[in-house]
Amino acid sequence: MEFTVPIGPQHPALKEPISLRMTFEGEVIKKADVRLGYNHRGMEKLAEEKTFIQNLYLTERICGICSHSHTTCFAQGVEKLMEIEAPRRGLYIRTLTAELERVHSHLLWLGVAGHEAGFDTFFMYTWRDREVVMDILEALSGNRVHYSINTIGGVRRDIDEVQRKKILDSLGLLIKRTNYYTGIGVNEPTFVARIAGVGKLTRETGIALCAVGPTIRASGVVQDVRKDDPYAVYAELPFDVCTADSCDVLGRVVVRVKELLESYKMIEYLLKNLPAGPISVKAPRKAKENEVVSRYEAPRGENMHYIKSNGSDKPERLKVRAPTLANYPATLEMLKEGFIADIPLIFAAIDPCICCAERTVQMVDARSGEEKILTLAELRRYSIDYYKKNPIRKEAEWPF
Amino acid sequence: MAVLKTLLYLFIYPGFLFLLVYSTFCEWVDRKLYARFQNRIGPLHTGRSGILQPIADFIKLLAKEDIVPDAADKGMFRALPIFGLAIVMTAIMYLPLWHYDVSRIGFNSFPGDLIVVLYLLSLPTLVFFLAGWHSTNFFSTIGAARVLTMLFGYEVPLFLAVLSPAILAGSWRLAEIAQFYQQHPLLLLPNIIGFAVALICLQAKLERTPFDIPHAETEIVGGIFTEYSGKKLAMFRLMADIELVVGSGLIAAVFLGGFPGGLFGGFVYFIIKTLAVIFLLSLMRAVTGRIRVDQVVSFAWRYLAPLSVLQLLIVILIKGLFL
Amino acid sequence: MKIAAFLPELLRHLFKKPATIDYPFEKLEVPKDFRGTPILKPELCISCRACVRDCPAEAIEILTENEAEKKFKMIIHNDRCVHCAQCVESCPTDAMFMNQEFELATFDRHTLKASYVYVRATVKPKVPERNKVPEGGKTVTPAAPQTPQLPQPPETK
Repeated sequence: MEFTVPIGPQHPALKEPISLRMTFEGEVIKKADVRLGYNHRGMEKLAEEKTFIQNLYLTERICGICSHSHTTCFAQGVEKLMEIEAPRRGLYIRTLTAELERVHSHLLWLGVAGHEAGFDTFFMYTWRDREVVMDILEALSGNRVHYSINTIGGVRRDIDEVQRKKILDSLGLLIKRTNYYTGIGVNEPTFVARIAGVGKLTRETGIALCAVGPTIRASGVVQDVRKDDPYAVYAELPFDVCTADSCDVLGRVVVRVKELLESYKMIEYLLKNLPAGPISVKAPRKAKENEVVSRYEAPRGENMHYIKSNGSDKPERLKVRAPTLANYPATLEMLKEGFIADIPLIFAAIDPCICCAERTVQMVDARSGEEKILTLAELRRYSIDYYKKNPIRKEAEWPF
Repeated sequence: MAVLKTLLYLFIYPGFLFLLVYSTFCEWVDRKLYARFQNRIGPLHTGRSGILQPIADFIKLLAKEDIVPDAADKGMFRALPIFGLAIVMTAIMYLPLWHYDVSRIGFNSFPGDLIVVLYLLSLPTLVFFLAGWHSTNFFSTIGAARVLTMLFGYEVPLFLAVLSPAILAGSWRLAEIAQFYQQHPLLLLPNIIGFAVALICLQAKLERTPFDIPHAETEIVGGIFTEYSGKKLAMFRLMADIELVVGSGLIAAVFLGGFPGGLFGGFVYFIIKTLAVIFLLSLMRAVTGRIRVDQVVSFAWRYLAPLSVLQLLIVILIKGLFL
Repeated sequence: MKIAAFLPELLRHLFKKPATIDYPFEKLEVPKDFRGTPILKPELCISCRACVRDCPAEAIEILTENEAEKKFKMIIHNDRCVHCAQCVESCPTDAMFMNQEFELATFDRHTLKASYVYVRATVKPKVPERNKVPEGGKTVTPAAPQTPQLPQPPETK
């Protein structure tokens, strides 16, 4: 006997609203379907109304956890459009913040995975240790969450000797705690029993469905934008791409823990080899007519921004392809033949950042229940026709 | 006089009033310990060091809106919390807390009352199942099914583990068992395995981590308690607290030697021994994560049941050879 | 596979001080250069409106009070501000700085607007230091904004 049940949009397992419609037979999932759009904010449209320098702060607010990845991706793209190059010290500081963000994001994810599995003690410990990273980022950039350290042409703040020493000292504590979690957390029988063998994604299926980030790296595929298409200083930074072979949630935990250890090594290298020099160059206000695709390895996978400029100081079009959006088809595949009890873990294993991925809107006719997806041209036509019939009142006042 | 004593027994100590106060205190101890294990503070500002927090939670829930879903069976939906509360409150009567004049057989102490307590402690599981079933919500139904599935796992090891010291003591009467172990304290040691098994099974009965599957928050929203709100939810939570006290009282009576010393001595011993058991239960809750319901059943039948049979064997050997 | 692998650490934590700070009775110190609320130094403002142009949240407004006396009024809408400090950077005369206040919650958003009435200064705008490539290749860090002793700005609704 099959019945369809919605998980979400409001559900304690999900930190953000998304609707997964699952068809169950007993406790086994037969089919899963995803509906997006509950967190849609119109960022791409708003980006067309703001200048490049204002858009830096707008793209930062696409997500809270991976805010630096969006702003760096955007800044890189615009620097290419304006044909300027950030100086080396600026790129080093940008990469340093990127790696610190990766550390904080993976520690956050470890805690969330523990919480989804009912292992609250692990959650509390990892988040307590994450506070060390948050304090470093606050001292470095002035804020704990939206660092705003990028500007078009480099970075805004420099790092002085005192801060450098402090970060190097805190690294020791972080490395010790991460090794402890590796040694103990993945040996705790109740935790491992929940995550081993769950959410299998074979190598071929993963590549066919275009999964990105640790989700695909846990299936043995060596795919990392930092190695395939180096940006910032990754071309000269020595590091390894971390993979695992088990294709399940345990593999993804292992990949993320290994990436944490790699990030610590990278941060140490960056701090020890920080070159002297200016931290930014002056950027022009306008960009010539051109289009650019900028890629970045966010903690969740490959982040892509497509920016088109038309000679003015505002972009013509900004399109954001966040990594979680690429992982949704793979998630639906992983959910098949799983248990209900595994849904939160499978979904949490791709490290969902649903607000990053709000890019499609589905139209559902309230009376007939019919659904369709419109293209941009159709939506534009629809809204033009609508406002021809219902003109906007010209006397409307800005209420504030 | 006897009537007055009975009324005192039923409503003040160890009955209604004592249970209400002590179970909220035990919930506070549990929450504070759980928080300290995780390097947090726990409840802090309500009352001195947060001690009034469980009472505050209870009063807050009483004040909330009480919704009964349209499709639910209204009579059962409303009656079940009260049934559950009544059942666990009755179970404390048989624990050897106050006067146990072993020679007298009264309404609260008779041969076989150990079995009555164990039976009364199994009934809450049935109450939870019915509560989930009658909510007619998909998540509650899954929670109800999981409650019964877990029952198949832990019930048999629990019974075997608790009955082994009774066999050693030669009686099915809690008062006599406690008295036996007070006279021969060394005989508590062969029951260690049974003690460990009974602790794990009590954790499963109380539906706490690692066995809190029926109301797993991150998976099935509220599980059996999804549709309950307001007064009914307050009563279910109070029932869970009282079950904690009664369960640890049972384990303390059977495995840790009872509560000697009449009225005041018994009171002090009860507090100390139940708090010791609650410490171990909190530790178990903080150390592990939640496991799946099929893993509970396989774990119970592969490890707990053989261990409890082993415990029984040890007891039979000792009784046969030495006593 | 170890049973109860966390156990020693858990028991140790019973005797350690908790990691929680009991806010609001205890507060943490924010680091220097923390981005709090934007404040204007009116004696340095040349009303070039660079901050108005660059603010992503349209949180700064400069109105002309009196053309002849060169009197201007700046309103900072702290309820719209996202604390990005772009105004501090865009200002060519260092007239804006961020203070350390972040506890801005209030019941009425209109109490969060700060306004300054001032006469336009005649300060020469300088080239931001970080764009110069210095001789000798030494790093030049921009000067940290100091907190001046300013009178409280009058607040208008």
